[in-house]
Amino acid sequence: MRYLIRRTLHAVFLLLGVSLLTFLFSALTPGNYFDEMRLNPQISPETVAALRAQYQLDRPLPVRYARWLNAAVHGQLGFSFAYNSPVAPLLWIRARNTLFLTVTATLLAWLLALPLGVWSAARFGRLPDRVISWTTASLLVIPDLVLALGLLILAVRTGWFPTGGLLSVGFDELSALQKLGDLARHMALPVVALVLATLPMLVRHVRASVAEVLDAPFLRAALGHGIPYPKLLYRYALRAAANPLLSLFGFSIGTLLSGSLLVEVVMSWPGLGPLLLESILARDLYVVIGGVLLSMIFLVGGNLFADFLLYWADPRIRTAASAK
Amino acid sequence: MQPLLKVENLVKHYGAGRSARSKDKLAALDGVSLSVLPKTTTALVGESGSGKSTLALCIACLEHPTSGSISFEGIDLASLDENQLRLLRPQIQLVFQDPASSLNPRWTALEIVSEPFFVQRRYSKPDRAVRALRLLDRVAISRKMAARSACELSGGQKQRLAIARALALEPKLIILDEALSALDCSVQAQISNLLLELQASLGLTYLFITHDFGMAAHLADQIAVMDRGRVVESGSAENVLYSPNHEATRALLAATPRFSEPPAELVHA
Amino acid sequence: MTRPPKPTKWLVVLLLLHGIVAAAGFFAPYDPIEQDRERPYFPPMRIHLIDAHGHLHLRPFFYPLRLREGSFDRYEEDTATTIQLRFLASGARYRLLGVVPARLHLFGTAGSRIYLLGSDAYGRDQLSRILYGGQVSLLAGLLGAGVTLLLGALIGVAAGYFGGWRDELLMRLAELFLALPWLYLLFALRAFLPLAVSPLEAFLLVVVVIGMVGWARPARLVRGVVLSAKERDFVRAARGFGASNLYLLQRHILPETASVVLTQAAILVPQFVLAEMTLSFLGLGVPEPTSSWGNLLATLQQYNVLVSYWWMYLPALAIVPFFLGYLSLASALQERASPYKIEEKTNWNLS
Repeated sequence: MRYLIRRTLHAVFLLLGVSLLTFLFSALTPGNYFDEMRLNPQISPETVAALRAQYQLDRPLPVRYARWLNAAVHGQLGFSFAYNSPVAPLLWIRARNTLFLTVTATLLAWLLALPLGVWSAARFGRLPDRVISWTTASLLVIPDLVLALGLLILAVRTGWFPTGGLLSVGFDELSALQKLGDLARHMALPVVALVLATLPMLVRHVRASVAEVLDAPFLRAALGHGIPYPKLLYRYALRAAANPLLSLFGFSIGTLLSGSLLVEVVMSWPGLGPLLLESILARDLYVVIGGVLLSMIFLVGGNLFADFLLYWADPRIRTAASAK
Repeated sequence: MQPLLKVENLVKHYGAGRSARSKDKLAALDGVSLSVLPKTTTALVGESGSGKSTLALCIACLEHPTSGSISFEGIDLASLDENQLRLLRPQIQLVFQDPASSLNPRWTALEIVSEPFFVQRRYSKPDRAVRALRLLDRVAISRKMAARSACELSGGQKQRLAIARALALEPKLIILDEALSALDCSVQAQISNLLLELQASLGLTYLFITHDFGMAAHLADQIAVMDRGRVVESGSAENVLYSPNHEATRALLAATPRFSEPPAELVHA
Repeated sequence: MTRPPKPTKWLVVLLLLHGIVAAAGFFAPYDPIEQDRERPYFPPMRIHLIDAHGHLHLRPFFYPLRLREGSFDRYEEDTATTIQLRFLASGARYRLLGVVPARLHLFGTAGSRIYLLGSDAYGRDQLSRILYGGQVSLLAGLLGAGVTLLLGALIGVAAGYFGGWRDELLMRLAELFLALPWLYLLFALRAFLPLAVSPLEAFLLVVVVIGMVGWARPARLVRGVVLSAKERDFVRAARGFGASNLYLLQRHILPETASVVLTQAAILVPQFVLAEMTLSFLGLGVPEPTSSWGNLLATLQQYNVLVSYWWMYLPALAIVPFFLGYLSLASALQERASPYKIEEKTNWNLS
């Protein structure tokens, strides 16, 4: 139990640190939205000053951080100057779109990676393993920017997939089934890009951990007892190899909001990524902070989730933690 | 006679940071008192984990004791600052158990022996090489070996090299922390003879730390027995060996193999 | 016969690749910012040995392009005239490695320009732009990695060697930086700095920004090595004959960290090249007319370019052989350092 409490405290500490860091980054940014407004001759200095006061940009930093933190805990993430609306609902819509994409991609990647990795480990050093290793190695040397742009070119040249956006024009007139199809067609490209970007790493880790376990004496003994090989692989080996994979899964969960940033921008998917980029270029302070913070909550939460999974799955951690 | 080294009521706790709770504290030394006379060999015998190595590190000023005092030639070591300590350090040298770890594997034998000169800025450059070679001669390491890197030497050669390095600054006290334990029997004998010879010619004082009463009996004038962070018995070698008072001493003695009384079955067979 | 050790092999490959980019002036036929408004978006041209009449030529040649009838951006080969390719020809002035003035190029033409990899909207030669752009991207990656490793090694050594509260504080900070995703950190840091700057300032900004981001991992690794090195008996022995902290660090502890730092360098350089590419691609890095691998790709964000001019994607492929070289070097180094350990958990993606 102390293990879990320690991990949770650690997560809270991380979140606080991250929030302070992002707040500082943005607060120290030289140009803010009002500076650009000040350059506009049509807006009087008094108006700018009044606006500054309204958003409390003239208060000292610690006060602003404390107020902002207090508000953030209550779900209020401040106000977007550019969109002229509260940040929280703005982020929520974009985050939903991002999650749509990443949850699908992550599930798909894991569903592919597990059998591929196990298969590769079971045929360690033989043809299937070599083919898979070679493929993952070549995917690894293609950076995700290059991959995403390449897919985009492919899509444009073949015309197989729409190249941007979430839904087609006239989406509302489609039947439920057609709606689903339309969404799937729009999602296909970014999902493929995300899956190809994460798959090689996942397959390699599954392969490495299963191969290590397959070498262990207890599995050789189980094979000697006549347990059928497929059952041995999936029921025993995969289970024994679960620990590093659970951590990795937690990491996957953690990057749900932040991992697809580049792909979203390249494929113009209306997720958190393009919003963040836009806000940085427009110096839209609170949107940046809110977006980063939201992603961080996911990241820290994902790691914490992995810790809980590990605690639940591995009796050794439980006993080691209680013995301490 | 004035003792060269006098340790009084020495205590050393580990993990005693402010954050640690009292039950986490580990007393490695729990009030050790010991004195070593010049030009003698004192053996410190104890099981592993009895605090021998911690004591060695404290005496060599490589660990700060939690409380108690160590005085060397009548000077309280705790009263010295880092600069004064640097001048005193050459007087006390330590030879470690595992020569593979106590010699930088990337360095050659010659570099290793001359390192103390370099650190203490003693002698001129050509002088350093001459002295280093002389030291290597002393411990029977050939010129050919001098140019080899430490990882190419055998275990016995490494330990002789470590001893040569400890001699470089002409120390008064050498602490041998299980210095023979990692070696083969024949090599042990060879090196213990070397140690005795060096003591006779250079007038060295040894603090010989071991778990092996056999070795202690061979080398020591005085024996102190350590158990769980305390010295439980000390005196002349004969007294401790032939009329042990403390339980721990008897247990250690019983665990030492002897050839003087062959087992009954063998005699009758 | 012994094969050369793997790290050496990959090091040679990388040296060659970098050599080509460093000597961009020689390998590139033209000045990268020289415009030719008459020839926008020329597709890559072919080099021939056999002409339209079936005659074999000893010198490779090419046909100039002309607009296809009824099109405003489609070209076809005009087989009426052949233009010969000249090797080791004299052409645009450049400074080799930024110092030596020279005019010699690997190849050139008399008369019409040749676009082996096509031209961009202003008729600038893509091949030349890619080669020169590589100088910017690779230099940013190398310098960024240098800054990061210096910072990481300093922090790692300070934390590992001096320990105590300093260690605690620095490692908590490192955890924080490790928890933040790279790209977000890059964004946040870039947002902190002014948007509109000159190319040189932008380049330095990019270097500083990517240099500040990645210090946490090398710092932690170096700290680990220092922690174990400082407990080695040869360090204790040296302290025992009076060595100072500075001496111990210089002579005994820093050499131990060399292999970790090298491996990290092989991992960080391609990551930072990619970081430069990403920043410039998004318009936060080095601006036009200077080319970098990232801003060469930025035109792909225009839909018509994406649809019509596929060769604008070619700069993206330039980084692939470098990635291959660096990652293979890194894993070869890792293998040499710990041959029995299964590959270390490294996340190549920037996310």
